[in-house]
Amino acid sequence: MPASKRFLHPEAIGRIARLDLRARYIVEGFLSGIHRSPYFGQSVEFLQHREYTPGDDLRHVDWKVWAKQDRYYVKQFEEDTNLRATLLVDVSGSMRYGSGPMDKYEYGCTIAASLAYLLLRQQDAVGCVAFDQSIRVKVPQRTKRSHLNAIVQALATSAPEEKTELQSILRGVAESYPRRGLLILISDLLVERVGLFKGLRLLRQHGHDVLVFHVLDDEELDFSFNGPTRFEGLELPQHLACNPRALREGYLEALGVYLEEVRRGCAQDGVDYALLRTSQPLDAALAAFLSHRQGMQRK
Amino acid sequence: MPSFIHESLLWWGLPLVGVPILIHLINLMRHRRVSWAAMEFLLQSQKRHQKSILFKQLLLLLLRMLAVAAVVLMVAQPLVRNQWGAMFGGSKTHHVVLLDDSFSMSDRWADTSAFQQAKQVVSRLAAQAGHQDTRQVFTLLRFSRARQLARGTQPDLLQEPVDANFQAELEKVLGPLQPSETAAEPQDALDAVERLPAKRQDEDRVIYVVSDFRAKEWQEPIALQKALRRLDEAGGQIHLIDCVDAVHPNLAIAALRPGAGTRAAGVPLLLEVAVRNFGAATAKQVSVSLEEDGHARPAVVFEDVPAGKLVTRRFPVLFATAGEHEIIARLQTDAVAADNLRSLVIDVPAAVDVLVIDGDARGQDAFFLTTALAPGGKITSGLKPLVESPRYLHDHPLESFETIYLLNIARLEPAEVAALEAYVKAGGGLGVFMGELSRADFFNEQLYRDGQGLFPLPLAGPAELLVDRLEKSPDLEVTDHPIFSVFAGERNSFLNTVVVSRYFAAQKNWNPSPESGTKVIASLRNKAPLAVEGKFGDGRVVVILTKASPLETSLGSWNNWGRDNPSYVVAMLEMQSYLSTARHPDSARLVGTPLEVPVDVARFLPQVRFVLPRSGGGGTLAVDAATSQTGHSAILNETGAGGIYQAQLTGADGSQRAERFAFNVAPEEGDLHKLDGPQLAARLEGIRYEFHQAGDINYSPQQLAGLNLSESLLYFLIAILLGEQLLAYACSYHPSAKGGAR
Repeated sequence: MPASKRFLHPEAIGRIARLDLRARYIVEGFLSGIHRSPYFGQSVEFLQHREYTPGDDLRHVDWKVWAKQDRYYVKQFEEDTNLRATLLVDVSGSMRYGSGPMDKYEYGCTIAASLAYLLLRQQDAVGCVAFDQSIRVKVPQRTKRSHLNAIVQALATSAPEEKTELQSILRGVAESYPRRGLLILISDLLVERVGLFKGLRLLRQHGHDVLVFHVLDDEELDFSFNGPTRFEGLELPQHLACNPRALREGYLEALGVYLEEVRRGCAQDGVDYALLRTSQPLDAALAAFLSHRQGMQRK
Repeated sequence: MPSFIHESLLWWGLPLVGVPILIHLINLMRHRRVSWAAMEFLLQSQKRHQKSILFKQLLLLLLRMLAVAAVVLMVAQPLVRNQWGAMFGGSKTHHVVLLDDSFSMSDRWADTSAFQQAKQVVSRLAAQAGHQDTRQVFTLLRFSRARQLARGTQPDLLQEPVDANFQAELEKVLGPLQPSETAAEPQDALDAVERLPAKRQDEDRVIYVVSDFRAKEWQEPIALQKALRRLDEAGGQIHLIDCVDAVHPNLAIAALRPGAGTRAAGVPLLLEVAVRNFGAATAKQVSVSLEEDGHARPAVVFEDVPAGKLVTRRFPVLFATAGEHEIIARLQTDAVAADNLRSLVIDVPAAVDVLVIDGDARGQDAFFLTTALAPGGKITSGLKPLVESPRYLHDHPLESFETIYLLNIARLEPAEVAALEAYVKAGGGLGVFMGELSRADFFNEQLYRDGQGLFPLPLAGPAELLVDRLEKSPDLEVTDHPIFSVFAGERNSFLNTVVVSRYFAAQKNWNPSPESGTKVIASLRNKAPLAVEGKFGDGRVVVILTKASPLETSLGSWNNWGRDNPSYVVAMLEMQSYLSTARHPDSARLVGTPLEVPVDVARFLPQVRFVLPRSGGGGTLAVDAATSQTGHSAILNETGAGGIYQAQLTGADGSQRAERFAFNVAPEEGDLHKLDGPQLAARLEGIRYEFHQAGDINYSPQQLAGLNLSESLLYFLIAILLGEQLLAYACSYHPSAKGGAR
């Protein structure tokens, strides 16, 4: 099956085609003006100097000003492109789990492909980063329609394997995408939370509009196993032989605490968060989320 | 420490307790493998609940092992000794089985019988006594042998140790046992238990009465109550085991006997056969087939025999030859066979000797009487009267005479009186007619003796019955007595034409008490007694207070009875029959009673050969004559079967003499009405015993002697299984109702 058919479901595309993905925060837009774009670019006219703050790329420091005033200033230029969206797709081992027709990896890739289609259709630039504990594939941002194929191919070749290391990934992303844009993280977020929140905060500090699609399987949310079962870790060499029904209550409790923590962490950093079940129809989930986001924007 | 009925099952069953562990281990191997992403939360949950889960799982495993153990124990049936067992703590159990073998136990239904059930019960009791840890001994005593126990007979089994070979030995004893034809009673058996070797301190004695509990024996069991109470107080455990499921209808031939009348060759004799219906419904068209000397006779058919009633029919027989004749009556087959057959041996002489003593040498009275008794010519009455003077009484033996008549006696010598009294006492019949020679003083002093003598009434003297022209009632008024019953209901009875002019009056104020057996059987128009019956010893005396002859005397004519009045002949023959009945008591011999045959050692060898009836297995038995109070006699104790026994005596000259005796069952034993448990309980109040149906004896004697924990274990098992289910639910081992298993 070609990768484009694997991840691009016509019914899902049809359903979301009438919607569009808008940036909640100010981004530059010159095509149809749907995105306000205060991004500072390098190739356009100089706009202003700004005092250096830790985290700014050293390449943007204006050494001439430093030589004159002994102060660090960074030069800022007016951006000349449209909305730049980057899809961060988790392809770690834990995404390989799935009890239904699609595992989390496939579900996540489908979301990514659908969104890429949507963004390209509205002439926005879309890039893609597939990662596990490091960045596996990186597809630069382009606005060409044909770029969709490159994204889909990149997703298809990223078979899930390693464990996730989000903090360093997000740091890397923040550094490599200095312009404000839309970052869409698609992951099961089964990572160390402190690192996750630090990474998200960093992205926000860089002015990115961040969207998190939290993809979990039904079994992970409901844990309706019966009979003696041996659970073997997908990312770590852990295993547990148990009667799942005996542990269900404790599991759901721990899961609830975790989900609440993630939700709260995202809300604190101004990150849009959506929990998606792999059993949910993809189009409905996306449509509901995008409509919700549009509603928020109008406010 | 409890013992077990099926101890061997423990060895097989207890290893099964490990099965839940095995299943657990197999389940561990059968774990489904799931690659799982969210291990973090699973491990958190595991860490938090590890202890409680482990505890619950161990508890669950324990409960399952307990459940298996409970099932195994329940099947093995543990026993703990009951209070009695604990109290006496016996090291030995003595099982005393009293087996009812009276013929009511031959009660058949379907393809079994009460006795068969009883044998199975005994067998089962013995088989399971073998499983007991402690020493067991077994005694088996049949009811029919219980009475003989005092005479030195041994029980069928006496304190036999119950070992590996015992069951085979018991089967050897039980196998050939059949119900006897005796009416052996439980009383004898219970009394016999006390004659067994005394119960030792360390011995538990369990007494089983295996019987049919018929109402006739247990309806008012006062003696049985006493015997059972004694056994109870002596520490025996009593178990009454009923071998009959329901009351079955039964007919019995209750009697087969000769009716009144002269028994002589060539003289027709009426025999009586009686059938009793012990069932609950009227029996219709009951046919009793008859056999006379081995030849079939026409059957006697009873149209109806109502429930619980006895119906008697008469049939005539004519024995052409003198000697012993056999009559056998048979009923059709029913529940109990033994009482469907009855036999009779009747000794018929060529002629019956009658002694007539006439006080008057002319013999006028004797003429009329002997003419009436033996008219001669073609008519035969079977009677052979011998007319003699009073002296004959003293000079000759009187035993050979069926009856003796005293006619118009003036007086008798004391020796003659003594001989006469001895004769009557031994069962002879005496008829007395008065006359002009008779003296009241002699009769009162020598024969009446204030009621001590054989004469039944004191006399006042001759009297005249005054003629009353206006009086139309007959002179003779008779009662419903066998002598006169033949006239009962007849119109214009010839008795009414009898005129009595003279008679001997009884003393005034004479009024016989009903207990004395003396009664007036005919009286005159003036209410003076004319015929009086009395009893003396085994014999009977009938006194007619007028003359036997109607002829004129010095005092004139006494009556006209003997002249031209056929009733005289009839009444005299009836009187002869009545008086001779005492000589032939209805000697119904019961099976089981010893047969004693006197042997005159001067004429016969002192050994008697008994030929046993075919129903008793046939064969012969030689019994030596032993000295008894009355001389020499041979006693046959083996009379357990009904039928005809023959005693053969061999003369000193080699000649043979045979006598036959009919032995019949007690017809009451055929009454199959029985008492059930509650009815028995009401009658045996205060006695500790247990009542069982034969079918219930599937448990062991240990159960009888101890408490079986199986039932308690069953409840325990139910509780364990409930607990297991609850705990398994709590441990979430039940598949969830919704969502299905994954």
